[in-house]
Amino acid sequence: MRPSDEPGTGRAATAAEAPPVFRLRDVTKRFGGVTAVEGVGFDLRPGEVHALVGENGAGKSTLMKMVHGLYAPDEGTLEVGGEATEFSSPRDAEAAGIAMIPQELDLFPELSVTENLFVGRHRPRTRWGTLDRAAMRGKARERLGSLGVDLDVTASVKGLSAANQQIVAIARALVGEARAVVMDEPTASLTEREVRQLFRIISDLTSGGVGVVYISHRLEEVFTISDRITVLRDGHHITTAPAADLDAEELVRLMVGRPLNELFTRSPHSPGEVALEVRGLGRAGEFEEVDLVVRRSEIVGLSGLVGAGRSEVAQAIFGIRSPESGEIRIDGEVVRIKSPQAAMEKGIFYVPEERRSQGLILPFSIKNNITLSILDRIARFGFVPRTERQTADRFAKGLSIRGGSVSDPVSRLSGGNQQKVVLAKSLAREPSILLLDEPTRGIDVGAKSEIYRLIDDLAKEGKAILLISSELEEVLSMSDRVVVMREGRITGEFGRNEADQERVMTAATGGRDRPAPAGRGEEAPEDE
Amino acid sequence: MSEVQTPTPAQSGANGTVLSRWLVRPEAPALVFLAVLLVAFSLSSDEFLSGSNLESILVSVAVLGTIALAVNQVILCGEIDISTGSMMGLCAVAAGAVATSTGGLILPLLTGVAVGALAGAANGLLVTLGRIPSIIVTLGMLYALRGVILLVTGGTWITGIPDGTRVLGTGSVLGIEYPVFVLLILFVVMEMVSRHSTWGRNVFAVGGNRRASRLAGLPIDRVRFLSFVLVGVFVGIASIIYLGRAGSVQTNTGTGLELQVVAAVVIGGTSISGGRGSTLAALTGAVLIGVILNGLILVGVPGIWQDAVLGALILLAVTTDVLRRRLLGDKS
Amino acid sequence: MSAATAALRRLKLSREVVLLGVLIVLMVVMSLLSPLFLTVGNLLNTSRFFVEVGLMALGMTLIIITGGIDLSVGSNVALVSVAVGFSYAAGLPLPLAILFGLVVGLAAGLFNGLFITLLDLHPLVVTLGTFALFQGLAYGLSKAEAVSDFPPWFAYFGQAYFLNVVPGQLFIFILAVVVVWLILSRTRFGRYVYAIGNNEEAAHFSGVPVRRVKLALYSGIGLLVGMAAVIYTSRVYTARGDSGLGLELDVISAVVLGGASIYGGSGTIGGTVLGVLIIATLRNGLVLAGVPSTWQVFVLGVLLLVAVFLNEFFRRREE
Repeated sequence: MRPSDEPGTGRAATAAEAPPVFRLRDVTKRFGGVTAVEGVGFDLRPGEVHALVGENGAGKSTLMKMVHGLYAPDEGTLEVGGEATEFSSPRDAEAAGIAMIPQELDLFPELSVTENLFVGRHRPRTRWGTLDRAAMRGKARERLGSLGVDLDVTASVKGLSAANQQIVAIARALVGEARAVVMDEPTASLTEREVRQLFRIISDLTSGGVGVVYISHRLEEVFTISDRITVLRDGHHITTAPAADLDAEELVRLMVGRPLNELFTRSPHSPGEVALEVRGLGRAGEFEEVDLVVRRSEIVGLSGLVGAGRSEVAQAIFGIRSPESGEIRIDGEVVRIKSPQAAMEKGIFYVPEERRSQGLILPFSIKNNITLSILDRIARFGFVPRTERQTADRFAKGLSIRGGSVSDPVSRLSGGNQQKVVLAKSLAREPSILLLDEPTRGIDVGAKSEIYRLIDDLAKEGKAILLISSELEEVLSMSDRVVVMREGRITGEFGRNEADQERVMTAATGGRDRPAPAGRGEEAPEDE
Repeated sequence: MSEVQTPTPAQSGANGTVLSRWLVRPEAPALVFLAVLLVAFSLSSDEFLSGSNLESILVSVAVLGTIALAVNQVILCGEIDISTGSMMGLCAVAAGAVATSTGGLILPLLTGVAVGALAGAANGLLVTLGRIPSIIVTLGMLYALRGVILLVTGGTWITGIPDGTRVLGTGSVLGIEYPVFVLLILFVVMEMVSRHSTWGRNVFAVGGNRRASRLAGLPIDRVRFLSFVLVGVFVGIASIIYLGRAGSVQTNTGTGLELQVVAAVVIGGTSISGGRGSTLAALTGAVLIGVILNGLILVGVPGIWQDAVLGALILLAVTTDVLRRRLLGDKS
Repeated sequence: MSAATAALRRLKLSREVVLLGVLIVLMVVMSLLSPLFLTVGNLLNTSRFFVEVGLMALGMTLIIITGGIDLSVGSNVALVSVAVGFSYAAGLPLPLAILFGLVVGLAAGLFNGLFITLLDLHPLVVTLGTFALFQGLAYGLSKAEAVSDFPPWFAYFGQAYFLNVVPGQLFIFILAVVVVWLILSRTRFGRYVYAIGNNEEAAHFSGVPVRRVKLALYSGIGLLVGMAAVIYTSRVYTARGDSGLGLELDVISAVVLGGASIYGGSGTIGGTVLGVLIIATLRNGLVLAGVPSTWQVFVLGVLLLVAVFLNEFFRRREE
């Protein structure tokens, strides 16, 4: 477990009877045919940390986007300061004192740190009416200083590390006068020390009467920092309770809806020959000196924080990014893979993390998606044969894809069924090595359980599987071996019996006191 | 909330970083290229480096440069405007017609600016409210406005522009010819607007990351709309300079200008995908084009090769931009 | 689900039905404006003009479906025309000169494609540059002069009649329509084109050879431009540096009018053919009705804007 020197930061400040900063009443939000959130209530009191937990796809982000004016609820109301309110844009929300730090950072890479903090906000001016750049830089430094970092505020954001970009995003949200701050997975790419800095900031905020909604997967953080916890599952409100009344096991049961051991399928399989071997793989700024071995009938879990370089390594193996050093061996033979087509020829298939943007052609039918990667095999003289449909049908049935016939567009399927289509596409290619990048992200529990069974079956059949996942339970339950990456390097490797939460997390975050990434500490006359 | 005071490190100002900072500025390659060209042409032709030739180069790019300063903003927003050639023609026709009946500078100028602003507003509305890509809008407008010119003039020339109107093209102030003077004034204005106005800063944000701009609550449509209107206004001003210099308007006035303008902006170093660039880049690009066209004539290349040179320059500019980014290791 | 699918199919059908309706109404109006319009001779004669635009529009449809665009086709016509005329004037036998012209067209397209794929540049910028470059080369190489002393048989490509009424180039066009339609709707290549247009990144991740497909498309349109340019040069019997000036507008308008989304991902050959016919009818009808050619440019520019606007409007309504 994470050591904590600042227990229950906001707890003391909670005034249980104070009127809420905002309250959602019975809100429902649908996207096309899919109901993302149904009849959920949620409120945030001044000075409290209210954790919002649930699995991926449970509806947490959707719920908070309604608070932040990005979505309007289809049913139900939003009350701010006791009055029913409708936000038509995030700007309205921010004017009402509700700030959000989104999961995917929305920064301006070409602009300086200072400019990023002031985009869309009031900028200080000199008496000549020109921008007071010195004051802007001073404010930016001050704001970042209060987060415990010291960055070159004139440097452009694209040159910063992932953690520092996160800090800029947090600083950006706090530039306004917020009464409520929503933080969506703020610690996903932070080191231990940076997490503690963040908790200190949160405690400063709450003692000033600001309410904080804290969305996180990391349960130990949730228990460390929150006063109340709300659990969502499949778009429904499960419970809201004081953090003191819950424990980790109970919370997991509420989130998953059943005990963990029923979710995962894991049958014994005996790893065979080495199928994929990577030696000294490197690519400037992304990863270096990566050694990795995956055998037949073996599931190797690849764990680490967001931004640790795991997807980049997998994509390098798949020919999407060309490695600058090191070598890749397939069945013992050195290969040079320059494109996904070449990787597929060698029996490798990568199932990307970004399902909608990288995995699927959304307007295409299920059939056209499933057969997209095998067209070069099944086409006759360049023409697509009629047997295409039977092929697609076979895989759609094999993976029990539900929600439409194979001629329907995949855009209408639920997240879980969409993910099955991506998997079907990869299996149609009959790969011997599968690189699965967050294969269960954002899908419901039922589909998850099916996908775990599928992964287990594939390993039994003799496929070599690399399972990239940010969910510790998933990695620990499914893998024969766990490899951990941090900041582009392999920092730990554990056999099935040695791997546990603490060891993996330590390797992923670099243990206790790591120095915070230093700012560049340089100043140049211009900040363009 | 409490402010934790952290000591800022000693601000190291003037060391090696100044040069490296300067080199990554968007217009740096164009400026270097310009310097090389100036040296090359002055070595191969004695007339080139004479004061009068240099001033005549600046005069010749005044129209181009003025419009490029505004189109620069459109491109920074992540949009494009290729209607400026016909728009310039139309503004010149309207201003010319007013000039021949009333004379003077103010009325024709206001007419040109108003017509330009209207045309720019039409572009802006179609792009923002109509949600049509700007390349299509302005391509359609390029042809539609040329049609309007032909309709209005009936295919005849407008001649006999009175001297009072032509002052912006022929006169001089403080020993500087007016076209150069106007161009420099507008450059300073745009530089200030770009650096210090909220709109000027928003332009960079909208072009750099539109999604984030939406989340930050920026008025994306208004920012883009204004940049299109600005193009119209600057085209209107440029049309008066044109009237002054040419003294007449033909139905094909401004043909092909739109390409030179876009070329000037991208050659100068503003990224065609938006979000990165500078006002100086637009000016540098325009001067660069002027120097090249002038230099080619001086070294004896026939004028019919002008388009080919322009096209090659655009390709060269975008290629250097890509290669520079790759060399700097910008993998995004 | 299946009801929605059926509705969607009906909608797709109706887009082409609407275009057909527009075409018929246009023809009726034109025949009222000019008694000459609705004669077999005139209708067939009209095809002389649209074959050139039509050939290029076929290639442009595929390019626009991938989310790209080619602004350089008009200039490329000039380049090919000059290549044919001036290589012939320089002593090359005419068949070889024509072959040379086709090679130049293909090479120009390949040039675009290489720039776009190797440097990851937006096709808009590249073809804006080559628009000027090709035009300038055509002017420069021809020294702004014209060649028109071709042997009589050269007229065959652009002026011949089959059975005294059907213009010869119509057959070339029909053949090209069938071939491109088959490619787009029946082949692996066609599937790749749609995949790239709908989600280029996912297509790349799925093993679609994105660069090769794009390279083939831009080279392919270069070849079609070459064919169109030869027909054009034969029809006007002159090779000059300003041949094909502004044709890119006709071509892009026809494709967009035919329902291809300028954002990529959708479009059909059937729609494009209808778009080409509508534009040809409009141009021919306006000429017959005695409307000055100045108007035609205006009408075409406005037509392009209206077509894109309606397209995107209806597409948003569907979603």
